[in-house]
Amino acid sequence: MSKIFVGIDTGGTFTDLVAADLDDGRYCYHKVPTTTGDPARGILEGIAELLDQNSLARKDVAFLVLGTTLATNAVLEGKWAATGLITTAGFRDVLELARQRRPHYFNLDIPKPMPPTARDCRLEVSERVAADGTVVTPLMEADVRRAVEILKAKKVEAVAICFMHAYANADHEERARALVKSLWPDIYLCTSNEVLGEFREFERFSTATVNASLMPIMDRYMEHFERGVADLGIPHTPRVMQSNGGAVSPGAVRKLPVNTFFSGPAGGVIGSVGLSRQLKAPNLITFDMGGTSTDVCLIRDGEPAKKSERQMGGFPVRTRTLDIHTIGAGGGSIAWIDAGGLLKVGPQSAGAYPGPAAYGRGGTKATVTDANVVLGRLSPKSLLGGRMAMHPDKAHAAIDELATSLRVDAVKAAAGVIEIINVNMMGAVRVISVEQGEDPRDFTLVAFGGAGPLHAADVARNMGMGKVLVPPRPGLLSAIGLLHADVRGDFSLTRLLRAEGANVKAFNAGLADLKKRGAEWLRGENKSEGESKARFEWFVDLRYFGQNFELIMPLAQERLTAANLARLSSAFHKRHKAFYGYDMPAQPVEIVNLRLVVTAARKAPVAAKISKKTFLKQIVKQSRRVWFPETGFVQTPVYERDQLPADWRATGPAIIEQMDATTVVPPKATIHNDTLGYLHMTLAVDGRGK
Amino acid sequence: MKRKIDPIKSEVIARFLLATAEEMGATLMRTAFSPNIKERADCSTAIFDVAGQVIALAQRVPIHLGSMVGAVDEILKRFPMDEILPGDMFVANDPYNGGGTHLPDINVIAPVFKDKRIVAFVANIAHHADVGGMVPGSEAAVCKSIYQEGIRIPPVRIMRAGKVNRDVFDIILLNSRTPDERVGDLNAQFAANTVGARSVLQLFDRYGLKETQEAIAGYLDFTEKRFRAAINKLPRGRYVAEDFLDGNADGETCAIKLALTIGKGRMDFDFTGSGKQLESARNIPYRALLATVYTVAKAMLDPEVPANAGYYRTLHTKAPPGCVVGPVPPAAIGCRSISASVLGDVIANALSQAMPNKALAGSGPHHLFVLSGTDPRTGVYFVDYETVAGGMGARANRDGVDGVRVHASGSSNLPSEALEHAYPFRVERYALWDESSGPGQYRGGAGVIRDYRVLADDIVVSLSSERQHVPSPGMAGGGSGACGAFVMNPDTPQEKVLPSAAADIPLPRGSVLRICTPAGAGYGDARKRTITAVEKDVVEGRISPDYSSRTYLEGA
Repeated sequence: MSKIFVGIDTGGTFTDLVAADLDDGRYCYHKVPTTTGDPARGILEGIAELLDQNSLARKDVAFLVLGTTLATNAVLEGKWAATGLITTAGFRDVLELARQRRPHYFNLDIPKPMPPTARDCRLEVSERVAADGTVVTPLMEADVRRAVEILKAKKVEAVAICFMHAYANADHEERARALVKSLWPDIYLCTSNEVLGEFREFERFSTATVNASLMPIMDRYMEHFERGVADLGIPHTPRVMQSNGGAVSPGAVRKLPVNTFFSGPAGGVIGSVGLSRQLKAPNLITFDMGGTSTDVCLIRDGEPAKKSERQMGGFPVRTRTLDIHTIGAGGGSIAWIDAGGLLKVGPQSAGAYPGPAAYGRGGTKATVTDANVVLGRLSPKSLLGGRMAMHPDKAHAAIDELATSLRVDAVKAAAGVIEIINVNMMGAVRVISVEQGEDPRDFTLVAFGGAGPLHAADVARNMGMGKVLVPPRPGLLSAIGLLHADVRGDFSLTRLLRAEGANVKAFNAGLADLKKRGAEWLRGENKSEGESKARFEWFVDLRYFGQNFELIMPLAQERLTAANLARLSSAFHKRHKAFYGYDMPAQPVEIVNLRLVVTAARKAPVAAKISKKTFLKQIVKQSRRVWFPETGFVQTPVYERDQLPADWRATGPAIIEQMDATTVVPPKATIHNDTLGYLHMTLAVDGRGK
Repeated sequence: MKRKIDPIKSEVIARFLLATAEEMGATLMRTAFSPNIKERADCSTAIFDVAGQVIALAQRVPIHLGSMVGAVDEILKRFPMDEILPGDMFVANDPYNGGGTHLPDINVIAPVFKDKRIVAFVANIAHHADVGGMVPGSEAAVCKSIYQEGIRIPPVRIMRAGKVNRDVFDIILLNSRTPDERVGDLNAQFAANTVGARSVLQLFDRYGLKETQEAIAGYLDFTEKRFRAAINKLPRGRYVAEDFLDGNADGETCAIKLALTIGKGRMDFDFTGSGKQLESARNIPYRALLATVYTVAKAMLDPEVPANAGYYRTLHTKAPPGCVVGPVPPAAIGCRSISASVLGDVIANALSQAMPNKALAGSGPHHLFVLSGTDPRTGVYFVDYETVAGGMGARANRDGVDGVRVHASGSSNLPSEALEHAYPFRVERYALWDESSGPGQYRGGAGVIRDYRVLADDIVVSLSSERQHVPSPGMAGGGSGACGAFVMNPDTPQEKVLPSAAADIPLPRGSVLRICTPAGAGYGDARKRTITAVEKDVVEGRISPDYSSRTYLEGA
């Protein structure tokens, strides 16, 4: 019996599907329009088509994982459910007060974002827990009953229960939850301690309330999806990619939809982690450039960088996510001239419709894609392997108009557009590298997405990075990446106490609580075939007493002793010094949060080796004039990627075209097609005396 | 504007410089020690050209827009270029001598060398929680002289050739009530400049000295041109506005008067006629005046204009020495950000007359208070410096924003849970202040109420505020916002309204301190407010049915 893995990457316009046969290493691809009204329908049809067209048996599907943007879109479009909040007396305005900053310092037309829960649906109950978890005011159950009556009348679809210091003592929240559940059995309900066991009320309340507001829509989607997959005859429960790069059951996502905000872009990063293992390239920066936006993420020692807080719809959401930084710039970004006469690119995008002028769909504004056509970097004939005709005359007309306004020639204008978008990209890479204390020169840039390989060499060179890697199917890496997902759950709990022997008991109680949560969650995941035994990894957030910023340190075991607390503190001093340039050995160290990561790894599909038999004259498709900053226009060979033999090498300038992407190899750069079909580009960059 | 400039290279280099300034800011916040910088982001970073013009600024608090203006000039006045060496860094905090806008804001400035020549400066400013003086937190309205506000530092070297100058460093530490924090924060400021200098140098290395300098000059020219274009959309003329700060004694006021002249591509802000400098710390020093002018002009005319010297060139400011917006030493200035919010209202009022469809009514400034004492849980002495926001004024087409910092001020609050972990208080209420908004067709933003229960024995508080006596003025027939108040033990027989400015008021264990912050004013006649908007505010409990009929319906 063969085994098939299926990955589904839902995009804004299209959904990419990939099936990998684990036995023969064969990959099949399919693309269907994304159905926004009923997202599950398009996906289920797509799965059936993908399998049937490639004669793959549905019963052989051993692992099916979905990347979804449902939660993200719901927030961006304000489609969250009407939500009620039951909270501590005195605190119903926490979500509106936020951090008391204006939404924008200078643009006074931007209103404060409105939380998913209207003010009259935020009800206060008498109760109070202190910072150390002791009860100051007991929970008044009558208040909870009254709140339920009011919220029923207000017809909210979901309720979040958020009490002060609930991470330190969850008793009041859990009692209130039980009471609400008994009075209103079919309401969508979550508590702040369940969603995020960490201190800082605005961030925790916000995370919990956003979560509650997404439960109804995610629940309906997941129910439809899970049932549809079963109806197709696929024998295993499907999985859903989370923002932390791990895949989980639909059941887990229904409870915590807030964990899926980066489900979409996570695929590309996890795909890059997979190729990092495969190629033994531990340090990568992913560069996923599409039509309207670009995602970048840093991978060190095979581990993608993580982040604990993101903004969604103007509200902080604290969940562990891959540290994917997104900027609103891509191939469709529009070039324009500001009131002072400076050339600007983006953030407005021509999108897919009307798209760049070169697409001939009615777009007239000069975009990055048009500049690429004018400079010969993109084919003037067609894209998508001949399926989409290009209109170079229209691209030229758009760029000419821009050039006239700038009083420069068309080539200079086009080159300017490219230079500016590349500097924007460089800014994005800096945020995840230099600003985090990482030197990008130690990393290889992995280029994917439709436009990644087109700009990767320029971006790498701007950052002093000497190596670029282009995977075999750059446009499909996000879908393929889903196949590499492990099962992963992240859990945290605040125990804000000094790292001293006297507090060992409190820490261990917290760790035991986390372990219980992790184990319960794992049972709910119904370990599927091919998964290794789950691994429990422990971490703590540490800081100096008086600081308000934490460093995450690994913990060797699940129980603390006075001795290993002391070791932990001295390791913290060292790490602080390494990270920040100074330490304060005399200052007491505090533990802030305890963390648990539960992972069950899976055997990932391997890439098949490519044949070596092609001859050189077959691979040079043609040549055309391409512009490079250092040479101007120069006759450049254009290769067909699918025809490149294994272990093939060349020196730039060169253009390598394939169905889903175009790779630009600048002059003097060398390119190597390895036996697995990865392109390795080496750039001449300034050394740094290494 | 006669330079031949490249609109593409200028944008590329500007992007690079801005990214560098952001990177410096990220480093500063990542490595800083005190909550003020980390949690409240009370810091900014900047890059200057060799002539001391701001070319890129990553400000996190708008008042820092002007805080570093002229900082490099002051260094160059005291230190000839050839005496400045690679690895040197300068520190300054005195507003009258090359510092920022009040003493807690410490500037750290470093030259960037290329081939033994200074090609630029990088700088950052961070609010330090305590730099000495008569009150913890070094900021209290009751200070009468700058000598009471803390250590005054003129531009001096704090780093020599890459090594910390202990002579200066130790003097600063000794003058702070919380020296350990100062060590961490100053180290973070050094780190930010080191990162910035390295990155700026890379830019010069890549494009060469001449090309980079030309592109920078071009960028400033482009910015200037852009802002001139925005000014030229306004009707030329003279616009007059005035408002009042609390005066020297209860019941007295101090006027801020402005005559704004909008000319061809320039605006002149003349504050002649403003009241005499105050015998309290609410004077607005020169750079805070500039910052407020720059902030409000940018917000009203072109919010996206890059924050650099290019647009500063179009704005000309005049304040007679010795007045409240042009104080001379030893006038105290510590609480300038509260009074600068009132100043912001004056500027916005004058501009609103020229751009009525974007008009902005008066706002409620934040209140500032510093709680200090010993935490019984640890026995450690602490200083808790906090601000609670007021509400923004209504605009000609929308309600004011509730519970936000206004105009040039902008730092964050301290979360109640973080506060309770760090200090011996319990926050019993943190809420929008219902019915505080100035009524109008568009209502003002609501003020805020925050109640602190004291859980220690030796707590004292110092209080600073504005608009506890003079409310935010409404516009076009809109009503005033509520005035702020400090109240001890509210809603009890022991209730006591505290002064609007005071130092070292003891708060016994178990007592409650209530902060009510002033609200924003309304725009337009209240009776023109839509029924839908009134009903929504009633449903959401922002106003009572009684209040709504009294304010919005009567006479309709």
